[in-house]
Amino acid sequence: MPIDWEPIWLTLRLASMTTFILLLIGVPLAGWLALSRFRLKPVVETLISLPLVLPPSVVGFYLLLAFSPTGWLGAWLLRVVNLQLVFSFEGLVLASLLYSLPFMVHPIQAGLENLPTSWREAAYTLGQSPVRTLWRVLLPNCKPALLTGIVLSFAHTIGEFGLVLMIGGNLPGQTRVASIAIYDEVELLHFESAHAYAALLLGLSFLILLLVYAVNKRVTV
Amino acid sequence: MKKLLLILFLWPACLFAQPLRVAVAANAQFVMEQLRTAFQKKTGISVEAIVSSSGKLTTQIQQGAPYDVFLSADMSYPETLHKEGLTEDAPVVYAYGTLVLWTMGNLPLATDLKVLTNPAVRHIALANPAKAPYGEAAEGLLKYANLFVQVKAKIVYGESIAQVNQYVLTGSAEIGFTAKSVVLDSTLKQRGHWIELPAKGYSPIAQGVVVLKRTTQAKAAQQFVEFLRSPTARRILQRFGYRLP
Repeated sequence: MPIDWEPIWLTLRLASMTTFILLLIGVPLAGWLALSRFRLKPVVETLISLPLVLPPSVVGFYLLLAFSPTGWLGAWLLRVVNLQLVFSFEGLVLASLLYSLPFMVHPIQAGLENLPTSWREAAYTLGQSPVRTLWRVLLPNCKPALLTGIVLSFAHTIGEFGLVLMIGGNLPGQTRVASIAIYDEVELLHFESAHAYAALLLGLSFLILLLVYAVNKRVTV
Repeated sequence: MKKLLLILFLWPACLFAQPLRVAVAANAQFVMEQLRTAFQKKTGISVEAIVSSSGKLTTQIQQGAPYDVFLSADMSYPETLHKEGLTEDAPVVYAYGTLVLWTMGNLPLATDLKVLTNPAVRHIALANPAKAPYGEAAEGLLKYANLFVQVKAKIVYGESIAQVNQYVLTGSAEIGFTAKSVVLDSTLKQRGHWIELPAKGYSPIAQGVVVLKRTTQAKAAQQFVEFLRSPTARRILQRFGYRLP
């Protein structure tokens, strides 16, 4: 049974794209959460953390309704930017952004909160703005936290299954990611190719996590 | 108090017999509800339905899933199980299924399937042909109509007929191939509109039933299979658009 590489590449593409966009969103968000004294902060934190506890099927169900061309969001996107989110790679990226957001934000937020307050205060007294302080003083000092966020988001997106099953439609090259391919192969009793995919993902996930733990051990803030 | 809780906890287990577990291909999930009720009224035996694609259920049975009876959407899956020695007897046909084209929109449905090339149709939902006989039949029909290559890019695959129904009902897919028994269900009758597809172009979907060897309730299982041939069951099946053997 020759292994079809397409699902693997698709999974890696989905994970890298999701991680990259999450970095752009997650860093400012984590910075704001770590530094702000906004009264409704717990509400925002709750919303971000929801995907940690919700079954993927719940998220998938709501997204199926929201993304469908008859739903208000789906209809608007279709009309304005001609973007169809259900059964498409773009839809999976958006779903993964929601679903892996806590994995990016939590480690970075924790890293920032663990830095001594005096550093921030020193920067402020020297006349630096909060944004510049975050960028020049705080973030460079929590590189391991950043790396953890990046790697966990990446790994979590690789492991996505239920969500993709709900809104993907199993399209080769578009939404048939590796986890779905494994599921299909097992159901069709093609255990050899299921093994091949599964072993690849297992190895990949192992290496990724090993990297995180090794780096985090070496770098001390 | 603890004892009382324990008694309450164990109570149902000794009061009721284990229900008959029937694995049902997704096309028959709605008709199964009615069959179940009628069967229970007649015999007092309660039935639990497990709904999925025929292919998936077959795999589960091969892996030792604790089902008593299997209602497939075709003959070849139960035939396979029979060859492997997992069933009591060879499968018998309990119904012939019919394929329909179903939409929530106002698309001009016609049996020539030309509607599928309409630009308003972005997605065509069909069940995964590798696991679901109705998906296989739909794909065969598309090839027969010489449309398969043309519309291939629009096709999205549901896990089974059940997921195809989800896609069509939510409007995620503008149109989909499902079973006639689905659109005749009382809760779905008012939703969207559909057209029956002529039986030439795909082989009639003969649906087989088997009693599984591992059943612990051989008698009840046999009763259920016989019940499927009773006038009551035939009436129910007919009402859901199945043709009868």
